[in-house]
Amino acid sequence: MPKSLRFLIWFAVAVLGALAVATIALHRGEEINALWLVVAAVCSYALGYRFYSKFVAAKVLALDPQRATPAERLDNGRDFVPTNKWVVFGHHFAAIAGPGPLVGPVLAAQFGYLPGTLWILAGAVFGGCVQDFVILLFSVRRDGKSLTEMAREEIGRVGGFVAYVAVISIIVILLGVAALIVVNALKSSPWGAFTIAMTIPIALLMGLYLRRLRPGKVLEASIVGFVLVMLAIWGGQWASQTPSIAAMFTLTASTLAILIIIYGFLASALPIWLLLAPRDYLSTFVKLGTIALLAVGIVVRHPTLHMPPLTRFIDGSGPVFAGTIFPFAFITIACGAISGFHALISSGTTPKLIRREPEARMVGYGAMMAESMVAIMATIAACVLQPGTYFAINSPAGIVGQAPETAATTISGWGFPITAAEMHTLAQAVGEQTLYNRTGGAPAFAVGMAHIFSSSLGGQAVMALWYHFAIMFEALFILTILDAGTRVGRFMLQDALGHVWRPLGRTSWYPSILSTSALIVGAWGFFLWQGVRDPLGGINSLWPLFGISNQLLATVALCVATTIIIKMHKARYAAVTLAPLAWLVVVTFTASWHKIFDDNPRIGFLAHARQLAALPTPVPDMARLVFNDRLDALVTGVLICMVGLILLESARAWMGVLSGRKQASVREAPFVASRFATEEQG
Amino acid sequence: MNQRPRRNGRLRLSTSPKAGRFGDGLRRAARLLLAALREIFDESAYARFLERNRVVSSPSTYAAFLREHEVAKARRPRCC
Repeated sequence: MPKSLRFLIWFAVAVLGALAVATIALHRGEEINALWLVVAAVCSYALGYRFYSKFVAAKVLALDPQRATPAERLDNGRDFVPTNKWVVFGHHFAAIAGPGPLVGPVLAAQFGYLPGTLWILAGAVFGGCVQDFVILLFSVRRDGKSLTEMAREEIGRVGGFVAYVAVISIIVILLGVAALIVVNALKSSPWGAFTIAMTIPIALLMGLYLRRLRPGKVLEASIVGFVLVMLAIWGGQWASQTPSIAAMFTLTASTLAILIIIYGFLASALPIWLLLAPRDYLSTFVKLGTIALLAVGIVVRHPTLHMPPLTRFIDGSGPVFAGTIFPFAFITIACGAISGFHALISSGTTPKLIRREPEARMVGYGAMMAESMVAIMATIAACVLQPGTYFAINSPAGIVGQAPETAATTISGWGFPITAAEMHTLAQAVGEQTLYNRTGGAPAFAVGMAHIFSSSLGGQAVMALWYHFAIMFEALFILTILDAGTRVGRFMLQDALGHVWRPLGRTSWYPSILSTSALIVGAWGFFLWQGVRDPLGGINSLWPLFGISNQLLATVALCVATTIIIKMHKARYAAVTLAPLAWLVVVTFTASWHKIFDDNPRIGFLAHARQLAALPTPVPDMARLVFNDRLDALVTGVLICMVGLILLESARAWMGVLSGRKQASVREAPFVASRFATEEQG
Repeated sequence: MNQRPRRNGRLRLSTSPKAGRFGDGLRRAARLLLAALREIFDESAYARFLERNRVVSSPSTYAAFLREHEVAKARRPRCC
């Protein structure tokens, strides 16, 4: 293609992208079409990938097509396998895509669609994609070492220790919050509870099918499992309409929480082939299919966004979660823009599959762009709802009241008209008894998704089926995260305890399995229970805590990346990771300060504890609520201190190298020429 | 019929150059998608296991594969 034509094409993409961003940013007082968000996103990602990631690849990382990757050098057909870049892309995307980019943008939609959209685009292009890309490449150059190992080698022992604690903390908090989202989606919903309960025997059946009937035919088993899950959704309608069965599956939040805690413990201790592996396959199958379906639905239906670009809640008084747009919009969006957790995947399985260094760009940078696109779709799903409906679903009873009329009046008073009758009709349309106070983001996302799907396929008549399909989809892959996360946490704990007493480190020794499983499940179960008992719905305190810990892990990853870049004598390009690092430090430290010390009891943990303690008539469980607040403040404080420590340690390493006091030595594997490069040239 | 060399040197046959390119592209995309799914769902890992150990698929070999992969799979984080 002639250079002038290429220039014209990219110029047109830039103009179109600018027009789309201007449209979503400058429109006031009138509704816009969701396609503007899609166009803005696609153009931003295309430009970011073509120009920015190419700059990072060429100038900062100097990707070398001649250098053999560990997949080639250490090829053992098991962990290290040179794999086609598109296959690695799919594998990496399936591992990084979770509920975060769906839930975060839905919650952040309380500020309007504009702040979330802008941060998802800018945060991904300049932060999240860069983090995933550089960590992946650095791990590739270090034989697939993990983030914690790289932190220890490049920054020092403190770096390794902080990374380890940050990973364990984020896993525990994430699992607590994820379980709370499932509880809030399934409470008083016999249809949803029945469907999700059925996925357990379906997963067990798949496990036996794979083990006994058709060994290794995972795709086939997943299709069978998917058909059975569809039948379970259909059966859920029958269950919800049969009084005796409906009564059995109409569960309170507390009962659901106990059941999920028991499930988490059993899933962690049972053999992996029986429950974890088949559920993982099934949830991946449903996840990839549903994300593709949602993308098609949005493009085909191109719905109108009813949410305004900015709401009155940018002042911090929001009902979904309290806090001003800065820093809480950034903390809430989390994974859709930048996720520290991705650094674990980028330094886990993926670097062992990369066939050639230049492919790290497409896998690392590209897969995060796809994840960010999922976050944009979640924003659209939330913002196609009438704002009154959105706030009725997402506001806790502690803010809008228990009675439907009171809630509708309160929400209408905010300028988002809604009536109790409208909410009742909507609840009936989706086959639920009520949609009030369904905090956590999942039900609002499910209603938005059902709205988009049903207007494309089947109409209002099948809205209930689509809604429960969406709930099943979210709950299924959150439960998979509970299985997998508990196990990962258990292994990490066993590794650490093995240094104290060797038998505890043996992953097949049952006393060790049971005790470490109990510790991890007990830890996230504590946060879950705290969220369930919280009169403000739990999400208000726990989601920001999850966001802070996730962004702090990204801070650790970016510290490692900046240290390596400086040691590579590329300090003039260090801004590539230093700029997002500085932004994350400002955001997370400010958010943590607010969460600990803010005088507003809806924001500050300590202020809330003081308010409870000062009540003239004690509320039930007051001592526990006060303790929870103080513990949340302590957890936030400890996390922030540890990251402060790693920042200081990193800065010391940077200054040492830059001033010439310390020799800059990177711990890369030695260069070996790639035969793939030779083959291609030949 | 046209005969055009492919990048890897092998020949392909098609009735028209454009239709051939489009058909090839689709087939290649479908093959890649299937390969990605097989990798995601560990089917490729199982195939490599069978090849490495020179055994055929059976419940006992699949059980051995699961044992070998158990720790790696259990340690694989799923993101948030």
